[in-house]
Formats: sequence, structure tokens, C-alpha cells
Amino acid sequence: MYVPPRGSDDRRALDRQGGLGCASLRSHCREMAQRLLLRRFLASVISRKPSQGQWPPLTSRALQTPQCSPGGLTVTPNPARTIYTTRISLTTFNIQDGPDFQDRVVNSETPVVVDFHAQWCGPCKILGPRLEKMVAKQHGKVVMAKVDIDDHTDLAIEYEVSAVPTVLAMKNGDVVDKFVGIKDEDQLEAFLKKLIG
Amino acid sequence: MEDQAGQRDYDLLVVGGGSGGLACAKEAAQLGRKVAVVDYVEPSPQGTRWGLGGTCVNVGCIPKKLMHQAALLGGLIQDAPNYGWEVAQPVPHDWRKMAEAVQNHVKSLNWGHRVQLQDRKVKYFNIKASFVDEHTVCGVAKGGKEILLSADHIIIATGGRPRYPTHIEGALEYGITSDDIFWLKESPGKTLVVGASYVALECAGFLTGIGLDTTIMMRSIPLRGFDQQMSSMVIEHMASHGTRFLRGCAPSRVRRLPDGQLQVTWEDSTTGKEDTGTFDTVLWAIGRVPDTRSLNLEKAGVDTSPDTQKILVDSREATSVPHIYAIGDVVEGRPELTPIAIMAGRLLVQRLFGGSSDLMDYDNVPTTVFTPLEYGCVGLSEEEAVARHGQEHVEVYHAHYKPLEFTVAGRDASQCYVKMVCLREPPQLVLGLHFLGPNAGEVTQGFALGIKCGASYAQVMRTVGIHPTCSEEVVKLRISKRSGLDPTVTGCCG
Repeated sequence: MYVPPRGSDDRRALDRQGGLGCASLRSHCREMAQRLLLRRFLASVISRKPSQGQWPPLTSRALQTPQCSPGGLTVTPNPARTIYTTRISLTTFNIQDGPDFQDRVVNSETPVVVDFHAQWCGPCKILGPRLEKMVAKQHGKVVMAKVDIDDHTDLAIEYEVSAVPTVLAMKNGDVVDKFVGIKDEDQLEAFLKKLIG
Repeated sequence: MEDQAGQRDYDLLVVGGGSGGLACAKEAAQLGRKVAVVDYVEPSPQGTRWGLGGTCVNVGCIPKKLMHQAALLGGLIQDAPNYGWEVAQPVPHDWRKMAEAVQNHVKSLNWGHRVQLQDRKVKYFNIKASFVDEHTVCGVAKGGKEILLSADHIIIATGGRPRYPTHIEGALEYGITSDDIFWLKESPGKTLVVGASYVALECAGFLTGIGLDTTIMMRSIPLRGFDQQMSSMVIEHMASHGTRFLRGCAPSRVRRLPDGQLQVTWEDSTTGKEDTGTFDTVLWAIGRVPDTRSLNLEKAGVDTSPDTQKILVDSREATSVPHIYAIGDVVEGRPELTPIAIMAGRLLVQRLFGGSSDLMDYDNVPTTVFTPLEYGCVGLSEEEAVARHGQEHVEVYHAHYKPLEFTVAGRDASQCYVKMVCLREPPQLVLGLHFLGPNAGEVTQGFALGIKCGASYAQVMRTVGIHPTCSEEVVKLRISKRSGLDPTVTGCCG
């Protein structure tokens, strides 16, 4: 199966980001775009509806091979990964692994706020619940993914997290906004409203 | 994998992501080289594991100093009422809270190291590497994937691990080591520390300080290799401040009792009799062994010492194979200290890739034992100086002093002592400095610079002290051992 390159889409995404007026964000996103392109290519090979809990999860093997197997996809339900245990609330969930992130964040139709946090980080314990509360107030227009950087170090490194908490705003697989450190409720409200658009 | 014939994956491969390894890797990356680091932590027999950063960050210097600080705070809380604080005594200590705080800090350092490697563009693999040939290592990553890495230059910095007395029945099953103590979620309770090393003394010291019933069992002398007069004073202080000592004793068996406690049997060499005791925890601190066994060094042709299995190197840190080097605790004949591994590693990289010819200087390396009363030293011990130069050519100046802070608090200063070992002939070159007292590390560091610059006792005498400090007692040293005069400092001013 041939999948056309998504270059033009990325350019549109980059123009969008350029409009935010953040130069460092633009260059950051240019680097990210290449990585996200690969992720989206892999995702597009497996055409399915983005999961918000209805579809059984994919085996990680399927996502790692760029070739598409002619017989279609083997979807093996993984009993260890019931969606319900990863949910914190209706709008917040913990990321289980790379494919899960791909699934529920990169491929999400709804914008996602990604909270990179660590057990050893004091400010994270303050920001986390505050952000969850503000996300819940948006009535499903945005959802929140929590990533523990010790459990998912490679993912955190890939998204260039250095200090925690780092919060990314993601729309259609692109990082469109970001902040580091604690914010108050008003600032979070503004951040979320901007993401929802 | 070789991209083309003769081209290897990396300019430098560092095996081991501890103090030495990370320093090398970052230095080489800064010089524009293509660098990879492989780090892997084999879980301890008790199952403890940790992240990137090596012994110092995870199971050594860092958690040790933090727990030592926790213990010191206990002492300060006891002093506080004398200074007017209305603190209800005794104040209880919660191991869980301390352990969580310490473990969280260590985890933040693991992350920090990971980010640093990423920022400096050092490739990192969490794999257990072993040599395939002299330019290649292989390792298995999570998920079973085998990785082969080749490099022009290789630096081995795998460090060491605590030794288990496997000949003692029950030692492996029921005992823990320094690998485990800092990661315990629950208090170790009544603890037997076996060993006479600084690890044994420091661990027993902070356990006593946080209020746990602690016993040290040692076969012979404390702190072998350190100045013995100072070492016995360190022990004296610990003994008079709550740590129990079983000297001249060696354990023979450890059993678990039905209630979960451990029963230890030992032989007392002074009486020739056997004795037993019950403890919640047994901590083995009887030395460390180099982490070389699983490296397959023979495949690379790297020689190790037949006695210690440590890697043999020359003054350039080169092993028996020209392009393979080794630094840090894994190396034979070097002090096992973080700053040594770091400095040796950086100098090595500068020689390899930076055009430098500077060699590492292993003389006059300062260090501090963080026992309840701290012992800082730099240079020769008194016995080393006498062995080298002869008694008649050595002059030792010494003083018993009392830290000002101890006075109001009514603390015992019997072991607060400092001595300077010098050559006897003018200008009396300083050969060694030994300081026993609070903040010994902070005190000794500055004097290490003086000794490195070749300070003489004549210069020490002309150095003005900072008042009121413990440190000034060093420059106020006037009484020699040879004179036989009482070395007790009387009053503070003059």
C-alpha cells in the first residue's frame, strides 16, 4: 500500500504554529514534525478510528513495522491493558506505553493536553489536579493524558521534556503550545481555551 | 554494525553510566565526537534496582550524605532547647518520610543525567554490555533485541558492587548491603552492620543518629588504610554516642526466626567463644568488588588483577589493549572516589580528542568520612609519613579543640582533634592534614588546595585564621607531638 507523504499538511500545521508568534516553538515544531510524520505514517498504515475506549488496543509489533502486511492487521486484545484502569476521570487518563500515546494522543480527534510529570516532582503534584479540574470543565472539548517520565523516559525525551512539569497542547498530532512549571487556574483556562480554538 | 568497511559506529563508547562514565561521555561530545554510553544496573540479590548515574548518585555519596544530614538534624534538635527553642523531646523520626524524600531526589538526578546526555547529543543505551571483540560490545535491550556497538575508543567505567560473604550461611538470603539500605521503604529497625569500612561506619552512624538500635561487628581494625589514630577516635566517638561495637568478632551464620527477625551467630576471637544476637536487619559492608565478571574482558584482551579482578591500567588510564581505557572504581590501585573518576575521565578524553598531554595526579587527594563526627583528610597518614621519611624527619603538630557550638549545647568534644604531619626540616613541607570535627569536608577542601600548592608549616603559621570557626584550629597548630606538651586548646581567643 502506498501512502502519500503528508508534507503539505505539515506545512499548514507549521504555518498555523508560525501564527502563534513563538520563534522557538516554530523551530521546535519543525524538528517535531519529522518525528510526528513518521508516527502518523505508521498510524495511517493502520486505519482505524481513534480510540477513546471502544477499540481493543493494538499489539506494539504492528506499529513498529513500516510495511503493511497484506492480510491486514492482526488485532489481539491485550487483557493486561483494560482501558478502564488507565482512566483517572472521564477526561483524564494515564499513558501506558508508546503505542498508547500514538493511539490516544497523536491520533486523537479531540485536542489533548499532555502532562509530563514525575513522582519526585513537588510542583507536579500541585499542577496535576489543578489541570485535571480545568480540563474537566471544558466538557469533553479537550482531554488530558498524563505521562510519568520515569515510566516513559524515551517518550519524554522524544518530546524534549527537560524540567517538569511540562505540559504540551496537542492538536491533530502536532504540538501547538507548551508550558513548563506551575500555572494558576486562570492561566490554565486561557491555555485550554486557546487549544480548543 | 559497520556502515562501511573500517568505519565504526562511534568515536567513543563508554561502558558504564556512573560518575566517571558520564563525565567522559559529555566531555567527548563537547569536543565534537560521536559518543555512546551504555549503562545497566543488575538488581541486587534483594531485588533493588536504580536508574542512570552510577553508585554515587543512587547508592553512595548522595543518599548517604542526605541520611547523614537527617541524623545530624536529630542531634541539632537535641541541642536546640539550650539555645532557647521550646522543642518537646524526644522527637520521633519517620524512616518512610526520609527515605521517600531521599529516593525522590535521587530519581530527579537520574532524570537530570538522562536529559544532559540528550542535550549533549550522547547516545544512551540501557543495556548490559559485554565484549565481542576489542572494538565491539553487544548487549540485550528491553524486549530482547540484541544490539551491537562498535567504537574506535572504548572507556570502561563499570564501577563496583558490594561484596557478599557467600561463605556465611544465610548471608545472601537474609542480609542486605549499601545497594539496598537507601531504597528500603520500611525502617531497617534493629540493625547489625558487619564491616570496618567507611561504608560500615557511615551507615551505622546515621542509623544510630535517627534513633535505631545499631551494632557494628568488625573482625579487626577500623578504616584500614586511613590514619589509625584518627580512625580509633572516630570509633570512640561513635561508641560514646550510642553505637554498639563487637570488636574482634566475625559472623558465621544468619538464620531467620519464626517471628521474622534474624539470628546471627558469631565467633569472638578474644574469648574464642560463640555468641548469638537477634536483629531486624543485617547489613554487609565488608568491601566492594569490581563489576567486570560479565564484561567478557578476555574477548577484548583486557587484563585484570588476579587478586582483585580490577582492571590494570598505566598512568594514562590505558589497559593492556591500546585503544581501551578504564577509569573509576573498576581500576586497580586507585582511590575509589567520585571526583577521581570524573577528573581522570575528563583528562583522558582531553588526551584522546583534545590534544592534551596532562596526566591525572593521584597524590594529595582529599576525602572525608561522614561518620557522626566527620573525619576529613588529605595527604599522608602519620604512619605513612613515618614509613616514608623516618620518625626523625617527621614533625606532627596537633590540637584537641572544642567547637564553639558545642559549648552552650553541652556536647562532648573529646574527639574533636586536628593534626598536621610535616617534614621536620625547614620550611617543613606539609605532608598530610587530618581533621576530626563538624563539617570536616568543608574544612578540608580548602587546605587540599594549599597542600597541592606545596604549603609548608611556615606558611601555615603565617596564615590568619577565621574566627570563630573550627577550621582556624588548623592554622593555629603550634604544639608538636615530639614536645610532649598538652595539645588541648584552652579558651578560644589566644
